[in-house]
Amino acid sequence: MEIFAQQIFNGLTVGSVYSLVALGLTLVYGILHIPNFAHGALYMMGGYITLTMMTKFGLYYWIAIMISMVIVGLMGVLMERLIFYPLRDAPPIQDKIAAIGILLFLEAFAQFVWGADYQTMPTPYGQVVSVMGLTFTMQRLLIIISTVVVMILLFLFLKKTFIGSAIIAMSQNREGAHLVGINTNKMAMLTFMISGALAAIAASLSSPINLVFPGMGHLVILKAFVIIIIGGMGSIPGAIIGGYILGFAESLGATYISNDYKDIFAFILLVLILTFKPTGLFAKGGHS
Amino acid sequence: MLKLKGVSVQYGAYKAVRNVDIEVGKGEIVVLLGSNGAGKSTVFKTIGGLHKCTEGEIMFEGKRIDQSSPAQIVKTGIVQCAEGRKLFPRMTVYENLMMGAFIHRKQKKEIENTLHEVYELFPILKEKRNDLAGSLSGGQQQMLAIGRALMSKPKLMLLDEPSIGLAPIIVAQMFEVIKQINKTETTILLAEQNANAALHIAHKGYVLENGSIVVEGSSEELFADDNVRKAYLGA
Ligand SMILES: Nc1ncnc2c1ncn2[C@@H]1O[C@H](COP(=O)(O)OP(=O)(O)O)[C@@H](O)[C@H]1O
Ligand SMILES: [Mg+2]
Repeated sequence: MEIFAQQIFNGLTVGSVYSLVALGLTLVYGILHIPNFAHGALYMMGGYITLTMMTKFGLYYWIAIMISMVIVGLMGVLMERLIFYPLRDAPPIQDKIAAIGILLFLEAFAQFVWGADYQTMPTPYGQVVSVMGLTFTMQRLLIIISTVVVMILLFLFLKKTFIGSAIIAMSQNREGAHLVGINTNKMAMLTFMISGALAAIAASLSSPINLVFPGMGHLVILKAFVIIIIGGMGSIPGAIIGGYILGFAESLGATYISNDYKDIFAFILLVLILTFKPTGLFAKGGHS
Repeated sequence: MLKLKGVSVQYGAYKAVRNVDIEVGKGEIVVLLGSNGAGKSTVFKTIGGLHKCTEGEIMFEGKRIDQSSPAQIVKTGIVQCAEGRKLFPRMTVYENLMMGAFIHRKQKKEIENTLHEVYELFPILKEKRNDLAGSLSGGQQQMLAIGRALMSKPKLMLLDEPSIGLAPIIVAQMFEVIKQINKTETTILLAEQNANAALHIAHKGYVLENGSIVVEGSSEELFADDNVRKAYLGA
């Protein structure tokens, strides 16, 4: 029972990070209808920028994260302006190829600037605590709590503000958004900004328990894609719930089946869901 | 108020609208008649900035708007209820209406008042305010599209075939509402195939065929025109 509780806790930690990454991916998908393969590179940049802010500039963890969110957010905006916007009328395959191009470019860039070594990110929350038979580091607790806070803020923004609702509106009907006077260019940029910031905070939260290296985004982004396919492409609740489902499946699977197959569960889940509910758990009745 | 001068629009090499002149005066209801594929929606999209014209110019209250973005055009006071309604299907009726007021988002008090007016015009929208737009019937969706457009407090409203696919009784209501909206100083440009009903509420009209205006005149003149009677009034 204790092991089970411990694994649920771990699943919650891992699932939090997945959810944050998947949220950014699904927001951009909702607006642009392209799978942004470069999202994993934004995640990686987020890790490096936070790390650099802490080690080179001696900034406090949270300040470093804030700066990282802003910089990676702006990188997202730049990506939209320089690459996806000019391709808006091109056949969809070109967006995808461009996204892969950005991914490769940013990874080469990271390797050039920071080297290929694995680096550890320090955290002020390294202490180990035991509560009711659960043993964990404060960092893990921090991941779970911060994620919930970020999600609540995002929810309030999307649901309760005009600008946030405009993003949702645009994802449901782009022409309708034009008709009510929403500047869809601005909304696309804002969405990329948020998406980048989400990737940055996810990477900054998870890096102290994982590592920072140029390929750190690979598995995360693959899994995030699985999540948004499971959850229904473009669905926000789908991304959140899908992230946690995968987190639980991985940590329980690692314990009760085998740790060696941890990274495979995502894809088993994918096959199962695509077999029984091909449109995803939260399919949205098509884009009209 | 609105003036199209020699407007042509192309899709690739295909000229969907040729050399169209249209004039809409303040406070009028003007109808643009034409069968399927005549180019009515293309004219509307071009006025709304969703398409650029290849030739000609569009003036609104003395200013050129043919280079403006859709969002700028809505801000100058032109709003449209497009073909297919273009609602936000997974948002509630209320949320759709609020999005209609997007350009006035800072004026909370005014939005409140406009919402009240829209609910008065369409009580059913108030009743269904918490339902998803996608779950409404066709007639209700059309009302929501018009309500959403009204939320932007337009000076000129473009209505693209509001009666299409609706039961006759609903169509009659729809035209009644359009007349009512016009009474509150909103100018209306209406695209229709339903010539009979449209000409009854309109002050004047244009007939569009294959992208060109072939007849224009007051409603009385169009009613009396032999070609119009044959082609659009089934006489
Ligand atoms: N996006 C488009 N691409 C190419 N041709 C189009 C497009 N939209 C409309 N057309 C063509 O332009 C002509 C006018 O269409 P439209 O403006 O929709 O007419 P209406 O609204 O009067 O039915 C039609 O021949 C139609 O096939
Ligand atoms: Mg049409």
